Amino acid sequence: MPDSTQTLLLTCLLGLPFVGAIGLGVLKNRVPESVSGFLAVLLTAIGLFVSVVIAASVGEPLHWQTDWISFSGHTFPLSFQLDALSRLMLVVVHGVALLVQLYSIEYMRGDARIGPYFAYLQLFVGAMLGIVLAGNLLILYGFWELVGLASYLLIGFWYHRPSASRAATKAFLMNRIGDAAFLLGILLTYIQTGSVDFGTQPLTTAAGLCLFMGCVAKSAQFPLLTWLPDAMEGPTPVSALLHAATMVAAGIVLLARIHPMLSSDALTVVAAIGTATALWGGFSALFQLDIKRVLAFSTVSQLGLMVAAMGTGNVSGALFHLLTHACFKAGLFLAAGSIIHAVHTQDMRAMGGLRKALPYTFAAYVICAAALAGVPLLSGFLSKEVVLGGAVVWAAQRGGLAMLVPVGLLISSGLTAVYMARQLRLVFWGEPTDAEMIPHEPGWLMRGPVLLLAILSVGVWFSINPLSAHHSPFFAQMHLPVLPEGPVWLAPLSIALVLVGGWLGFRLREPATDSKLALASFHYGYLDQLYQRLFVNPTRALANFLHRADQRAVDGLVNGFGIGTVLLAHIAAFIDRIGVDGVVNGAGKLAVGVGQLTRSVQGGRVQTYIATAVAVVLFLLWWIL
Amino acid sequence: MPLLSLLIFLPLAGALLVALLPRERASLYRWIAVAVTSAEVILSGLAYAQFDRGQAGYQLLEQADWITLPMGSLGVASIDYLVGIDGISLPLVLLSAVVMLVGVVSSWGIHGRPQAYFALYLLLTGTIMGCFVALDFFLFFLFFEFMLLPMYFLIGLWGGPRREYASIKFFLYTLAGSVLILLVMIGLYLSVIDPVSTAVAAGLIDSPSDMTAEVLRAVQFQLLHGQLNPAQIVHTFDWRYMADGANYLPNSFLSIFGEVSIGGMPSRMLAFWALFIGFAVKLPIVPLHTWLPDAHVEAPTPVSVVLAGVLLKIGGYGFIRVVWGLFPDGGAQYATVLGGLGAFTIVYGGLNALAQNDLKKMIAYSSVSHMGFVLLGVASLTAEGVNGAVYQMVSHGVLSSMLFLLTGVLYDRTHDRRIDSYRGLLTPMPQYATLTAVAFFASLGLPGFSGFVGELFTLMGGYQSTYLPGWITAVSVLGIVLAAAYFLWTLQRMFFGETWVRTYADDATQAIADLTLREQWLLIPLGMLALTLGLFPNLVFGLTNSTVAQWMLKFVE
Repeated sequence: MPDSTQTLLLTCLLGLPFVGAIGLGVLKNRVPESVSGFLAVLLTAIGLFVSVVIAASVGEPLHWQTDWISFSGHTFPLSFQLDALSRLMLVVVHGVALLVQLYSIEYMRGDARIGPYFAYLQLFVGAMLGIVLAGNLLILYGFWELVGLASYLLIGFWYHRPSASRAATKAFLMNRIGDAAFLLGILLTYIQTGSVDFGTQPLTTAAGLCLFMGCVAKSAQFPLLTWLPDAMEGPTPVSALLHAATMVAAGIVLLARIHPMLSSDALTVVAAIGTATALWGGFSALFQLDIKRVLAFSTVSQLGLMVAAMGTGNVSGALFHLLTHACFKAGLFLAAGSIIHAVHTQDMRAMGGLRKALPYTFAAYVICAAALAGVPLLSGFLSKEVVLGGAVVWAAQRGGLAMLVPVGLLISSGLTAVYMARQLRLVFWGEPTDAEMIPHEPGWLMRGPVLLLAILSVGVWFSINPLSAHHSPFFAQMHLPVLPEGPVWLAPLSIALVLVGGWLGFRLREPATDSKLALASFHYGYLDQLYQRLFVNPTRALANFLHRADQRAVDGLVNGFGIGTVLLAHIAAFIDRIGVDGVVNGAGKLAVGVGQLTRSVQGGRVQTYIATAVAVVLFLLWWIL
Repeated sequence: MPLLSLLIFLPLAGALLVALLPRERASLYRWIAVAVTSAEVILSGLAYAQFDRGQAGYQLLEQADWITLPMGSLGVASIDYLVGIDGISLPLVLLSAVVMLVGVVSSWGIHGRPQAYFALYLLLTGTIMGCFVALDFFLFFLFFEFMLLPMYFLIGLWGGPRREYASIKFFLYTLAGSVLILLVMIGLYLSVIDPVSTAVAAGLIDSPSDMTAEVLRAVQFQLLHGQLNPAQIVHTFDWRYMADGANYLPNSFLSIFGEVSIGGMPSRMLAFWALFIGFAVKLPIVPLHTWLPDAHVEAPTPVSVVLAGVLLKIGGYGFIRVVWGLFPDGGAQYATVLGGLGAFTIVYGGLNALAQNDLKKMIAYSSVSHMGFVLLGVASLTAEGVNGAVYQMVSHGVLSSMLFLLTGVLYDRTHDRRIDSYRGLLTPMPQYATLTAVAFFASLGLPGFSGFVGELFTLMGGYQSTYLPGWITAVSVLGIVLAAAYFLWTLQRMFFGETWVRTYADDATQAIADLTLREQWLLIPLGMLALTLGLFPNLVFGLTNSTVAQWMLKFVE
């Protein structure tokens, strides 16, 4: 493609969402609410069309670059690239965003701030596209933070609710911790390589891990995962976008970009963190009561799977899982939104028996949940096989503790089946809790996207062979090597795990909500409480202590110094008055006394003058001496 | 056109005009102030247009003999009126012009004695400009001291309840610092010669215009070997000569060979620290910062804006121009301590900001934290760090002006600055909330706004520096986490949730009014400016780069 076309395409792709964000933000509620939604959908649809055209025209990676900041000898270019990864993500981001926006038109109908809502969504999309297209670490970081801003605005969208604004602050702050380390990583990269480009050589382990910290926060990896469940405070379509195509996916995109820069030690840490996250998320999802929280922790767990795949060198597997996950997770969230829309609660204990009232939603939910659990013939099964296979091969080469990674991932796979089956049972099976309430399916604007995403969760779109993705066109498109296939026992084993897990989730009686296990799961291992005690409270205590110290000690010293000086001045003045001045006054008094004495003796006026003269002489004498 | 002199003397003339105008014309005061500060913006814009950014040295020089005094065997005393700008002072001149204009417009609601207020304000404007363009140490010091006077009265007369305490504290603090500067200034004066005038006095050339590089070398050679007649030596306050080690008298107090030491410490190092403390009070650097929160809290809004937007920058400017500029040996020797102090200031200011319940104090401490980045950048002695430090000053000038204006908006309406007196302000004041969020996010370093670039490059300099250990930068990075914490926490507490305002608590129906047109016209351009600078950092770096590159040469050896 010629240069001008590239520039045009890039400007179009990156510019449209931002133009939309600014335009909708300025228009606010000055236009009818349907217009805001329509405009947003239109812009995203154009973006999707362009993305599909680009993705279809297979070509060399494109780079586009211009000077941004230059010092003597150092330049930091404004740089974008369009390679296989960006092509893939362009389609995913636009596709999911389009469906979410269509869905939002109906879901958010009647909300007073519909204009800002769509503006924030556009900002979210634009920022994510920036991450996808960024040509170096610095540009990526810029959009990275914008994603943080957009998520802050959307999570805290219903700002009247204190819990929503708390969740927004928490999400941004926790991400900021990761971002600070990420920024440090970029600086280290710059020191070590002299540029902020995506390198092809491993950096030091420390630098690599600093970069990875960005992913830990954005993709909700252990230990920075506790913002994600709270992020449920945002409107449900936002959750769908955030969990499927933007925000959490950004971490995976980052990992794919910096993968060559990670040393083998760093990759091992990545694999370990991913595995720990997969297990932590899986365990935490087990006994949640909020329908969206189960899905949130399932996202944590699946992201752990992707990160672990990256750690085991399986970039293609991780991206493949990102793609399939985007479809079924967006589907699940949007379907959950339909359910919430229908029953006006997020508590699964108040649901039950919804399969008859919401047949479409039920069908879509079952397909997506099964895909998530890894049921054969569905997309999730295929991508999980690639991830697990990669992990097994990786571990087999290393032996020893490395085996913990595939074992952990398999267990978390089994857990997925347990909690999704439990959720299906609680929501759709059993009897309705409230016989008088008759839930209704939503309109087609909401139903359509859900059904479409469910259809996209079927395996056949990704691979003709229903049991293996190894010959999937995906990998050819991505120009990524596919790892050698895992052992033959892997597929039967994971199918068995899904069956056992599903049976357990469906059949097992719910433990008492106050049992230790249920509580530990419900509070996701008490991580929040731990952080509160370990970091939040001490930081605030330190801040308050320093504030007092600043007022009393530092400022006290200053004031003390001031008071001391004034005191010293008073002492000096006192001495001056009593001592120095005293002599003067004394001399004067003496003279007056003498004068009065002479006057009293002689009673004449002249004597007064003499006395005065004596006093003056005395004074002059004293002055000279 | 003597641009720089106009920059200084136009506001001084304006101050005189306001002072002499009869009381009946009271409504004119503010318009004169607006006209003068607008003219300042145009003048500084003209200076910007005439400035050659590729050239490193001082430009737009204006020089006039001011005081020449033969002092027998002590040589000749010479004080020049010398002004000029380079890539370090120009961005700050531009910033000052803009902030002073913003300050005037935000002074519309000032109560009482408008004549005195605007006269003092214009006096302040002139002295600030003088500080940034003076190239003669004596002249600079004159402006530097004179600046205190209007500031003292502006806080002390138009301030809040504890205004006397705050203004005296501010005055004494800065005065203590300037005593140290004065001492070093005299020491420098006795140690440095003006090679041009000395050459004329020694009969090597007939007039200063005949000066050539050979003559310069000859004078400096004779100086080094003690061959100059002491009576012919012309001492100088000229920074250009002070910055060149070859102009220092051997065996003098501040000789570059360091023969003199006091209490076992070389006098040059003592002088470095004395200067550092003098300017660190202004910046401010912890633990010399405690005047700042008090001054800010008590000062009226426009004075806070000027204080944070411009006055603090004189500290950073002094670091680059004077402290490090004249004593590069000290800067290199104590880089670790100074960088560490910068990191400490960043974290200390950030933690203190987190603990505040007074909105203005919170912003004041955030200023302290942000100024720590300036010290870190300068101490790093890298091109990234020093460019970043100047950028950070410009960025903070814009953003802190915006932040203090925003605080003023709320205070005007309720006379209450406590953060916990407000909840859910977003509902009644959507524009105000939006602009506050913009200012907060820009200040906490959101890429796209200027705050990010300043922090990025000072940190990058810190990491790249061969003088600073890596942990100093790593600690400084905590500052950006803390900034997010105190800004977002404030946002959450004041703007989200159900609407509640303590002042109106008894009368819940009374709405709190959103921004007026004038407030919008002040805040939106500042926000746009921060955005423009953030998207096009080369606007600043293009000016600073060459000068900083030359400045860095001092540290090569």
